[in-house]
Amino acid sequence: MMDESNPYLPYIVRIEDAWYETPVGDRAVKTFRVNFTDEKVWDTWSHEPGNCAMVGRLGIGESMFCISSSPTEEGYLRFSIMKAGKVTSALHELEAGDTMTVRGPLGNAFPMAEWEGKNIVSIGGGIGQAPLRPVINYIRHNRDKYGDLKVIYGARTSDLHCFKGEFDEFTKEGTACHLAVDVEEEDWPHFVGFVPDLLMEVAPEPDNTIAVTCGPPILIKFVTQNLEKLGFTADQIYTTLEERMKCGIGKCGRCNVGSLYVCKDGPVFSYATLKEIPEAFA
Amino acid sequence: MVDEKKLQDKAKETLIRDDVRRLIGWKRSTYGYEAAPAVLTDASQADQLIFDPTCVQNLASFISLEEKKPVARGAEPDTRKIAVMVKGCDSRAIVQQLVEKAYSRDDVVVLGIPCMGVIDRRKAEKLFGETAGQVSAKVDKEKVAVDIEGDVKTVDRKDILMDKCLRCRYPNPLVSDFLLGEEVEKWADDDFADVDDFEKMSPEEKWKHWDEQFSKCIRCYSCKSVCPMCYCVECVVTQLKPQWTRRSTDISENTAYHIQRAWHLAGRCIECMECQRVCPVDIPIMTLNRKMTRDVKEMFDYEPGVDPEGEPMLASYNPQDPEDYIM
Amino acid sequence: MGDYKFAKDKLAEVLSALEEYEVFAPEAIGDVLRFKAVSDPAGVNLDDYDNTTVPPKELMFPQTETLFKYRLGQTDVEPELPDPSSKRVVVGIRPCDALAYTIVDNLYGWDFPDPYYQKRRESTTLVGLACAVPCSTCFCPSVGGAPASEKGLDALMFDLGDVYYVKALTDKGEEFGRAAGLEAAGDAESKAAAKQGEDALAKVPRSIETTGIPEHLPALYDDTFWEQFSDRCLSCGICTFLCPTCHCFDIQDECESFDGRRARMWDTCMFAEYTRHTSGHNPRPTRKERTRNRISHKYSYFPEKFDVIACVGCGRCIKNCPVNIDILDILEKSKQAGAKEAKTA
Repeated sequence: MMDESNPYLPYIVRIEDAWYETPVGDRAVKTFRVNFTDEKVWDTWSHEPGNCAMVGRLGIGESMFCISSSPTEEGYLRFSIMKAGKVTSALHELEAGDTMTVRGPLGNAFPMAEWEGKNIVSIGGGIGQAPLRPVINYIRHNRDKYGDLKVIYGARTSDLHCFKGEFDEFTKEGTACHLAVDVEEEDWPHFVGFVPDLLMEVAPEPDNTIAVTCGPPILIKFVTQNLEKLGFTADQIYTTLEERMKCGIGKCGRCNVGSLYVCKDGPVFSYATLKEIPEAFA
Repeated sequence: MVDEKKLQDKAKETLIRDDVRRLIGWKRSTYGYEAAPAVLTDASQADQLIFDPTCVQNLASFISLEEKKPVARGAEPDTRKIAVMVKGCDSRAIVQQLVEKAYSRDDVVVLGIPCMGVIDRRKAEKLFGETAGQVSAKVDKEKVAVDIEGDVKTVDRKDILMDKCLRCRYPNPLVSDFLLGEEVEKWADDDFADVDDFEKMSPEEKWKHWDEQFSKCIRCYSCKSVCPMCYCVECVVTQLKPQWTRRSTDISENTAYHIQRAWHLAGRCIECMECQRVCPVDIPIMTLNRKMTRDVKEMFDYEPGVDPEGEPMLASYNPQDPEDYIM
Repeated sequence: MGDYKFAKDKLAEVLSALEEYEVFAPEAIGDVLRFKAVSDPAGVNLDDYDNTTVPPKELMFPQTETLFKYRLGQTDVEPELPDPSSKRVVVGIRPCDALAYTIVDNLYGWDFPDPYYQKRRESTTLVGLACAVPCSTCFCPSVGGAPASEKGLDALMFDLGDVYYVKALTDKGEEFGRAAGLEAAGDAESKAAAKQGEDALAKVPRSIETTGIPEHLPALYDDTFWEQFSDRCLSCGICTFLCPTCHCFDIQDECESFDGRRARMWDTCMFAEYTRHTSGHNPRPTRKERTRNRISHKYSYFPEKFDVIACVGCGRCIKNCPVNIDILDILEKSKQAGAKEAKTA
């Protein structure tokens, strides 16, 4: 946990490696593998899949990102960041050897313990795979504790797929991976179309299964609808929300959806919870 | 005087029109010396409309305050007009907005109201104290009668009207589709005595003055929010990317904000005084704008918001324009 | 706890005696009052003062505050915490504003306690001044306060004409009484104060029955009733910046050359930028959603989390709103809308 006496003070991390997941340019996704400059931080650090952190650069500011590595990946943290605004553009300038600030872990997590023994289906779109990646890796690294794992993932084009190499690994391990691109492209052997449609084709059995989905709001909306068509109940569906954030600790106010602060009460919510909060879908 | 019944009837008639989306007028506020803006969409609501010297707010601001709702695929955007009630001074905002092509003449229905002056809440509170009750008022050539829940107090109008009224040169609307009430005679003039007074101060005194005033600023941005000429979709002051102005409140950032705003209003401010009226910490913002107004008038012989056929000062060029202000 | 008094014309002497404290009192610039550190005790005037325009929340939570400093290119960050050993006393704070602290304490104390706010709270003694004449927009009794409410205060003063009667309420208040060298008060003062409190209570001009509001507001999420208020909202920050319980802030990095700081500053849910995502998407795109959020946060979301309404009835938002968006009017009309909603549901 971070400095209990002052939750606004960040840790300093050094970038060990950084690479682009998608072609360089606006809206490119870059992954940073980082380690604390003070290795003693690991003694007290503990995060869970779903947790977030404020990642920033001194002189620019900080923004909230999910920690895209599972706690079972030891010795580093990973963040996959899309270039969009002031902070992300400044972070994208950084390379291996540079430092960033990290404040976390923040927010709640996927109830991985509760899900033991269940089948998990992960449904992601674009950069939305970032919070799902730690869930998938956590299951891979605790394989005997969970049932069947299915991964459904798509992006507009195959270039825009994040974590490209990893899906092959999953398949080798026996995890069913279903990939999609929105529009037809040469030599694409997998599904062509939108993720919600792919979901209907894969048609996972709802029995003893949890569906976790993340992506653009429109994807979440249709995936959720389709999951319900497949027989999933609201409490079997989990997603993450994102809002503009500043403090990350339930003080600065802006990330509320209804009475819930996404930074503290979230980012992970069951659809059963969100259904009761109209603002969650605003 | 404006007959309220006629005003309400005209409002009803306007709201019934197929090509009118909403009408903005004034209604009695829940308490105090200032009427509230009333944004109406249905003719049945027109009975609440009023006009009297409590109707201080310049409603021209509301034309640009309405958010453009996203149009559903296949649907036509709502191009119906906004009807707005304006006093003489307020009408200058409409003229200037039109001159700047903020919208087109067809987008608005202007209901003009000849005006004998409106109450300055601060002066009224000094005279009669704060009130939790509702207030109405009447004005004639000399006196203002203020009715505080039945208790009528009469004062000289110079003691209670807004400063802008005491130098009003445009009591009658300069643009309107319908005039509600008889035109009134101009009864004051503007000699810029306030600007003269300010200019008598030494540079040190001026700095001290603005230092004290801008230090108070809490950057609530009510001045720019209420200003009918501050209608930029994205204000340079609150823009986040790139960010030109810091959010921190200190004398330097606050001063920068107010100077920026004054400059952006050069040749555009129509002197409705709304910025100063709404300021919760009483910053005399109009001093800057008034100085600018006089300079613009003297240097460029330009007065914003009076000629619907004119063009914006900064968009016009005259080889005789003075250049000595360029350092 | 002790009862004290001092002659009103001795106010400057009393304030001067508080050497070990940094003393804050209302200061006027023109007609605008604000709590400031007292530089000249003789200049402090607590007569003819209803309340400060800017609430004293800024004493615990300044509008702009450095969180930490750094040098660009280096990795150390240096926190700028308030000095915990400093002692501050706020003299003349109104009971509503003291009550506001007790509400905001919940937010700054939960889960990740906020050291900046808390250190200031701990080191500050609050000496209230009961309201003999409530303001025209007050409704404190409706939300747990009163013109002579003691909640959140360390001592409460009453203006009894020639003397201030000072009722110590906590150890901190007791310490203030000793430090100020106050003499003991008698029964007469205590009775006069009680009477004044009762009289003032009867004079509070506005009120609202809050029962049921936190429960029915969420049902009005999509209701059009909000628009009768939001349609005239200017999207300025007056209501929130001047609210003693509004606590939202922005965090920004600012640099001069290589010297940088991360600072926070008041922010408001009434600004469109407040919730706007980098993508341009805004979950609260219009004044309707923003108005709804302000009222719902105070009267529904906050009570749901902390079991207390985030409003103290000081009336500042009503008094300073340029377009007469009157929170009591909204709440009353929400009841009508709520009743209608319940009927159709």
